[in-house]
Amino acid sequence: MITITHYLVLSLVLFTLGVVGMVIRRNFITLLMCVELIINAATINFIAFSRQAGDVTGQVFAVFLITIAAAEAAIGLGIIVALVRLKQTVQLDQANVMRG
Amino acid sequence: MLHDTLLSTLILTPGAVGLVVLLLLPRQADSAARWLGLLASLATLALAALAWSRFDPANPGFQLVEQRPWLPQVGISYSLGMDGIALVLVLLTALLQPLVFISSWISISQHVKGFIASMLLLETGVLGAFLATDLFLFYVFWELMLIPMYFIIGVWGGERRIYAAVKFVLFTLAGSLLMLVGILYLAYLHHAQFGVWSFAYGDMLRLNIPMGAGFWGSPQLLLFAAFALAFAIKVPVWPLHTWLPDAHVEAPTGGSIILAGILLKLGTFGLMRYNRPLFPEAWEAATPLFMVLAVVAIIYGALVAWAQKDIKKLVAYSSVSHMGFIILGLFAGTVASTQGALIQMINHGLSTGALFMLVGVIYDRRHTRLIEDFGGLAKVMPLYTFAFLLATLSSIGLPGLNGFVGEFLILTGAFAEHPLAVALAATGIVLGAIYMLSLVQRVFWNALVHEENRNLTDLTWREALAFAPLALFMVWIGVQPGTFLRLSEAAVRHLIGG
Amino acid sequence: MNMDLRADLLALLPELTLTAGALVVLLAGVGGGGRRHGGLAVTALASVGLTAIALKIAVDVSEAGRLFFSGMFVLDPFAVFFKVLFLLTAALAPLLSRDYLERHDYRPGEYHSLVLFATVGMMVMASGTNLASIYVGLELMALSTYVLAGYFRREVKSHEAASKYFVLGALSSGVLVYGLSLLFGELGSLDLAAMAAALGGAERTPTLLTGMALLACGFLFKVAAVPFHMWTPDVYEGAPTPITAFLSVGPKAAAFAIFLRVFLGGLEGLTPYWVWLVGGSAALTMIWGNLAALTQDNVKRMLAYSSIAHAGYALLGLLAGSELGVQSVLFYMLVYLVSNLGAFGFVILLESRGYAGETVADYAGLARRQPLAAFGMLVFLLSLGGIPPTAGFMGKLYVFAAAVNAGFVWLVVVAVVMSAVSLYYYLRIAMQMYLREGQEGEGAEVLAAPWTARAIGVCGVFVGIIGVYPAPFAAAARTTAALIGVTLP
Repeated sequence: MITITHYLVLSLVLFTLGVVGMVIRRNFITLLMCVELIINAATINFIAFSRQAGDVTGQVFAVFLITIAAAEAAIGLGIIVALVRLKQTVQLDQANVMRG
Repeated sequence: MLHDTLLSTLILTPGAVGLVVLLLLPRQADSAARWLGLLASLATLALAALAWSRFDPANPGFQLVEQRPWLPQVGISYSLGMDGIALVLVLLTALLQPLVFISSWISISQHVKGFIASMLLLETGVLGAFLATDLFLFYVFWELMLIPMYFIIGVWGGERRIYAAVKFVLFTLAGSLLMLVGILYLAYLHHAQFGVWSFAYGDMLRLNIPMGAGFWGSPQLLLFAAFALAFAIKVPVWPLHTWLPDAHVEAPTGGSIILAGILLKLGTFGLMRYNRPLFPEAWEAATPLFMVLAVVAIIYGALVAWAQKDIKKLVAYSSVSHMGFIILGLFAGTVASTQGALIQMINHGLSTGALFMLVGVIYDRRHTRLIEDFGGLAKVMPLYTFAFLLATLSSIGLPGLNGFVGEFLILTGAFAEHPLAVALAATGIVLGAIYMLSLVQRVFWNALVHEENRNLTDLTWREALAFAPLALFMVWIGVQPGTFLRLSEAAVRHLIGG
Repeated sequence: MNMDLRADLLALLPELTLTAGALVVLLAGVGGGGRRHGGLAVTALASVGLTAIALKIAVDVSEAGRLFFSGMFVLDPFAVFFKVLFLLTAALAPLLSRDYLERHDYRPGEYHSLVLFATVGMMVMASGTNLASIYVGLELMALSTYVLAGYFRREVKSHEAASKYFVLGALSSGVLVYGLSLLFGELGSLDLAAMAAALGGAERTPTLLTGMALLACGFLFKVAAVPFHMWTPDVYEGAPTPITAFLSVGPKAAAFAIFLRVFLGGLEGLTPYWVWLVGGSAALTMIWGNLAALTQDNVKRMLAYSSIAHAGYALLGLLAGSELGVQSVLFYMLVYLVSNLGAFGFVILLESRGYAGETVADYAGLARRQPLAAFGMLVFLLSLGGIPPTAGFMGKLYVFAAAVNAGFVWLVVVAVVMSAVSLYYYLRIAMQMYLREGQEGEGAEVLAAPWTARAIGVCGVFVGIIGVYPAPFAAAARTTAALIGVTLP
């Protein structure tokens, strides 16, 4: 029997993977995938909670999230394309000219 | 008609002309700027004299009151009023300002417009701070003084002017911001006790500010400290005085006159107007501390002044010593000593203002202020020597001149309660006489060894014109102090009694 | 149902108008007309003007206190106040950008339309009463600004700004939405009123508090509060200067709008928990923002840290929480908006050759060469520093008074000490302008940029008026705050 806890643990694992990945990786494409992981973790939560409560608002919001994630990915890829054109790399730290 | 808005007109005239000078005059209109500045300051002086003529010395309260709502929902109003204490300080301010313009006529030759505008805006801030009867409005004017003074020191100052300007701003601002917290807290207390917000001075007097236990647990002591720190930095009370010599030495002559003559008085004025009546118990509690600090300032200032090689620095440190006397008089708390402190504020403005002006005169001629570069000037510049001697004698309190009146009142007024402090302060007078007279001796009487000094020109008519009113008042207050003491007596009695 | 839809659409009329305007600008910018800088800027400006009219109509027509779109959207005075702020920003942005875009030769079409889209997002945020609509508005704003930060795609710095902004922004919005999902699970709804009601009986479980904390972190990121501020200096330095100006006021004000609405509306029941989080962040923000600004030589970077510090001051009003607190934040946002846009306006004006006019030393002797410009810059700097009688002082006064009133005296002490520190770096620029001599032909020069100058003039008038006579503006903020539509103590 799969309970809500299973879903929450799965989403927590995905969320953690995403956050840790964002912190330690410098490859822009990996970062983009990490963003997707985080948003999908939230989506899983929404669907699981929604199913548990028998209420559709969470599922509706999940559809919103998927759309927003797609828009975000599109913008991110656009920035990556510009980065490659300018610098011939997808490594963020090779594009660092400003003092942090 | 003018009666209703006399104080506003008095305050805003210099600032408005200052803005006109700054924004509307064409770039090279130096001479027009000088004349406009002088005329504006003379107009202000005339308005101040008019206020004097309409002032009723028998009435201890605020007169010529103006009140308009400004930010009604938080209880802030634009309210002005003049009591005897404010009147004498306003007169001093209005008197010194035109003299600053006259004495800076030639020596300020760069960015004249900016100088005139800064000075006029500064005057507006000073007059507003003296006349505001709303704590918030007071704070606005108080802060308004900061930026013009920053530029006066920073643009027209000496070699280390930027360092001095920044130090001046940081010291002053650090103190005044804590005062702002205090003001907000007072308004909050008023809200808590009476249900409405108010920043009005009269309303604050009705507050019941608990003394509590210990320092950190006592709202009244904390508030007293917040206000006193801002004012003590301005005075400056030892050991917060370190900005003063830097600011004085680097400031141009006109800046030094205003700084010593007027801005320092705002500190003692603030202690008198705000700390004493608002926090009476904390005032009692802090009296021993301030007595000690005052005595230390008197003696320390005198000793350090004695050791100076630079005339301007010497005068600057003598200010620390003299302001110590004023603090002593204020905290001794009798009518006589407080009256003495007030008249001493005027005296110090006159004599130190005169000394800075005269130091500026020889600096303009020789571009040095070191004592050792002079000697024997009495033969070359007799009129100048006379003027300097008069200012010196006034500064050290020779009977018959103004300084004597103030010091005498302070010391006799304080003697009954604080004999030890008075005895120590009296040594400060002796030290003052020693270092000032030895300065005069070395600059004017000793042999004329430097050839450059042989051809120095005496005071020009312009310099003499700037000095003459100061000399007049030094003698006037010295011979007939009653004229001036009478103005503030009712207000001071009210302050001490209430 | 039909009547409902009609009412809903009428309430949304300003957003619809602005979206249409953005599309018109976008289309007009495509093809041969794409270089008509003046025309496109005027079109953008006109659509902002039309939106303002639409806003007036929407407010007049809509029932007071009614919720639209099934409780997702509200047009209360609080929302209207912020929408006016956003429209003011959106109107100043094309003015500030027009000459700059032409000088740097970038196409203005997409640029202006993205600014307008971001503004639509901010307007939705201000009106959102459901975390779903708030989140959608937030993303619309964020996605548009990511692109804008990287709009100068031939500049390495601009590109770097976009990448960093995107990565950190996406992370923060992910964290935020994960927090939302936890709150949704615990409280069963994303509607603020329903959440507030559910909080009454809900146990303070770790999940609930984690959700709240993650949401707070997301919001603190958007207002650029320490320790979530790391993106700010790089993004502000690298982005095209008019965009930096826009970013520093618009999105920040929008983030404050939702911060107030969500934390004082929906999550007010959790105040004892978030007050420490936000209070600690406010103190750190004021301290670090001001201290870090001290050492900056790049003016844009310095203003970035200064904007971080200002977020800290505004957080005091949020903490105070009362009606006075909300009012103070609204008023502070207005004051900060005009002061900061004015200051950035001068940075834009002075940026003559490439990125000159960006370092503090470029300002040396400006007062001699351009006395009026130097004086104007001085006024804005003093306003940012909070010196009377400028608007900035009045803004600080309200915020500090609210915080003292709510018992946060220690935070106010931190704030005033840090204000003193801040004056040091603001005066550093003043010192360069007035006290130093510039070398001939080395420093920044004011360029002929009449549009930018107009925008600066508007800001200057506001700074002066609010500084001397703030009563009507504060009153506007006050009536707004009283009707925030949330329960206030």
